[in-house]
Amino acid sequence: MSSILQNLVNQPYQHGFVTDIEADIAPKGLSEDTIRLISAKKNEPEWLLELRLKAYRHWLKMEEPQWPNVKYPKIDFQAISYYSAPKKKKTLASMDEVDPELLRTFEKLGVPMNERAKLAGVAVDVIFDSVSVATTYKAKLAEVGIIFCSISEAVQEHPELVRKYLGSVVPVGDNYYAALNSAVFTDGSFCFIPKGVKCPMDLSTYFRINTENSGQFERTLIVAEEGASVSYLEGCTAPKFDTNQLHAAVVELIALDNADIKYSTVQNWYAGDENGLGGIFNFVTKRGLCKGVNSRISWTQVETGSAITWKYPSCVLRGDNSVGEFYSVALTNHRQQADTGTKMIHIGKNTRSTIVSKGISAGHSNNSYRGLVRIAPVATGARNYSRCDSMLIGDQCSANTFPYIQVNNPGATVEHEASTSKIGEDQLFYFAQRGVGAEEAVSMIINGFCKDVFQQLPMEFAVEATKLLGLKLEGSVG
Amino acid sequence: MTEAGTGNYLDSLMRGQAPLQAASASPLWLKQLRARAVERVASLTLPNTRDEDWRFTDLLPLTQLSWRPVQGAALISPQELERCALPEAAARLVFVDGRYAPQHSFNHAGLTVENLPAGMTAQGAIVEAELARHAEFEHDAFAALNTAFLQDAALIIAPRNAVLEAPVQVLFVSTQQETASYPRCLVIAQEGSELTLVEEFVALHQGAGFSSAVTEMALADNARVRHVRVQNDSTAAFHIASCAVSLAKASRYQAVSVALGARLSRYNLSVLLAEAGAECSIDGLALIGGRQLADSHTLIDHAKPHGISRQLHKCIVDGAAHAVFNGKIMVRPGAQRTDSSQSSRNLLLSGKARVDTKPQLEIFADDVKCAHGATVGQLDADEVFYLRSRGLSDAAARKLLTYAFGAEVIERIAIASLRARLERAVQAQTGEAS
Repeated sequence: MSSILQNLVNQPYQHGFVTDIEADIAPKGLSEDTIRLISAKKNEPEWLLELRLKAYRHWLKMEEPQWPNVKYPKIDFQAISYYSAPKKKKTLASMDEVDPELLRTFEKLGVPMNERAKLAGVAVDVIFDSVSVATTYKAKLAEVGIIFCSISEAVQEHPELVRKYLGSVVPVGDNYYAALNSAVFTDGSFCFIPKGVKCPMDLSTYFRINTENSGQFERTLIVAEEGASVSYLEGCTAPKFDTNQLHAAVVELIALDNADIKYSTVQNWYAGDENGLGGIFNFVTKRGLCKGVNSRISWTQVETGSAITWKYPSCVLRGDNSVGEFYSVALTNHRQQADTGTKMIHIGKNTRSTIVSKGISAGHSNNSYRGLVRIAPVATGARNYSRCDSMLIGDQCSANTFPYIQVNNPGATVEHEASTSKIGEDQLFYFAQRGVGAEEAVSMIINGFCKDVFQQLPMEFAVEATKLLGLKLEGSVG
Repeated sequence: MTEAGTGNYLDSLMRGQAPLQAASASPLWLKQLRARAVERVASLTLPNTRDEDWRFTDLLPLTQLSWRPVQGAALISPQELERCALPEAAARLVFVDGRYAPQHSFNHAGLTVENLPAGMTAQGAIVEAELARHAEFEHDAFAALNTAFLQDAALIIAPRNAVLEAPVQVLFVSTQQETASYPRCLVIAQEGSELTLVEEFVALHQGAGFSSAVTEMALADNARVRHVRVQNDSTAAFHIASCAVSLAKASRYQAVSVALGARLSRYNLSVLLAEAGAECSIDGLALIGGRQLADSHTLIDHAKPHGISRQLHKCIVDGAAHAVFNGKIMVRPGAQRTDSSQSSRNLLLSGKARVDTKPQLEIFADDVKCAHGATVGQLDADEVFYLRSRGLSDAAARKLLTYAFGAEVIERIAIASLRARLERAVQAQTGEAS
């Protein structure tokens, strides 16, 4: 039986290929000159350069954090190239002008953007390495006043908005990797939903790391004004490489009065091979600020890739009656390590938060949930419910939970529950008895285990996520 | 004490004490043990809030105080003794300001219940095999301090298959303010033996004091120990204690610890399920108010298969008090069929009260059942309303519900007189609250 389960976890990475596109790469190394180069290349205003330099100077003084429950070789920040852009063509009028090689890449990934985007009603802002190559559906969104573009474009066209909100949720000196990102970020997405507008479609971005040895420093900023609402989808895949790649993204969400932001992620970057060679280091800072009253921010993530995942999508619930949600599935296999969870900081009155975390570990992997629920002294009537479940497949992996609960207000109610289980032999026997093979049975049991989270995903992503978990645990039944 | 002085604070604690009397009579291995501990104290520093284990418990107030050596004879009046004596006890050991008080102690238990130096003459080999083997002091400055000052200590040895129903009471009494003491207790339960230990820490003054206690327990195959620990130190005192328990095959350890006193208290309980089929249940209650801080760190380490552990930790926090709980459950590789559950329940009674709780699971085996839960909240409004509808005043309803919250832990103590005494303490405290 256990050999079946062991075999179930050996699915090779399906998206492992390198697209040969000439990239405009900055020399390796990090210094103020590199930052000035990035800023100059992107034709940025003075204030943004200042912000970058401030972050860089802050970063120099900071120490690499040691507290996460992950192990990795020391990163040489001078061996990374901080800027790489596909050779620029003139402004693209239509999809036909996009590099055919690039289009083929998306084809292999199963993202025929020109068709699928329309069919699914999704506007896809494609990030290929660090520069936004094509943006669709922009006009349609512009009709209702929504700005959805790459962050470099936003810096040029809406500098007042970017300046107002950039770094307001994750300050430049917030943590080691956020400071690094603030200093060297090259591109990312910007989304602005004006007052009272409900975004007519789900927005999504496909991130993809391509050039070997180029760290990706994405920056995403989403602002929902009073009464606005948006659902944002982010999906990731990356090609197979042997050297570790650092990815230190920053995502900032801001919800004003009565606004609603839903942020969904499916992350399937290259996780390294069975022996833990290669794979992406995913050190991400994601934070949402419920600034206004009755605002709501919801994070949903399905983390299946990366050699190391280290991220805590968080909510700062400042507005009264604001709501924070976190739904997560983290699957680790082989030598993968994940230290993920959330922070819910309750400041406003009657703020509510829900945390549902499902961790699945297989192979020799290490999967940790680390969460913080903090109730400030002024957060009267705050309410939190947390539930984190772990499932272990095999006896070489580990599952850990580190929930921090800090309560400073007697009017608050905080509940936390956690459990650990495995796929029972009798469950598999039951399936076998009904004629369902072990592989399919495991897939079904896992889907049942993750149901609470998958239900939160938008339809297309729910399908993709279900498939992805199946793929990740699939293998020859021995 | 200056900032730079926090590292040297341990040295000042070492110097502030009178040299150990009669230490020259100790066997060589004990002298070497002490010397090693002295060495460790010299190289360790006092933990600060940057250490994960001390994040919420700031020892800075401690470093601003210094302690004088204990003066005079170790004596308390019979009335004072009466207040904390257990009528059920089959044996009692009393330590006054860290020193053994033979005139207050007795032993009808039929087991070894003695002061360590006396007990060692007959049981030297057994003691040598266990003393300081369970409570490591390599990285723990307070355990190292305690070991460095190791002289008078409670020694309890239950021989093979000895079963004692009545409790053994070990009483550590503080009578002098501004002194430091290092209570120590060693319990050895041999194969198939059974005993109940009641450890109590009381102060007969309201002044400051510092104590760093260490308790060690070694349970052999099929042994069973019930352990009740009551900390009722002066509300100006600093009480830092650790208890290390090691469980052999199919042994059982049941503990209830109650923290009532001290300005700052810290209790580290670590239970190692070293062999298959061991079982432990550890419960705790912290009942604090004013500006008290009660910190409880527990570690249940499942090293071998088929272990069972149960834990219920409750805190009732009033005034501007601060309760900290960190409960770690470790399931080592190969510790299959482990069944563990842990629950942390916290009741906040005032607007300034604060709770930091962190139940923690680290699991390295797949065939296990582990669950933990934590809640923080106030009294349920519906429950208060129900009692009020039955004619109770708001204050009486709250008092009753708070009492019931704490009683769940106290009820697990099998000794009637102690249970009654603690129930009165809870009532007294909640009475002030309402």
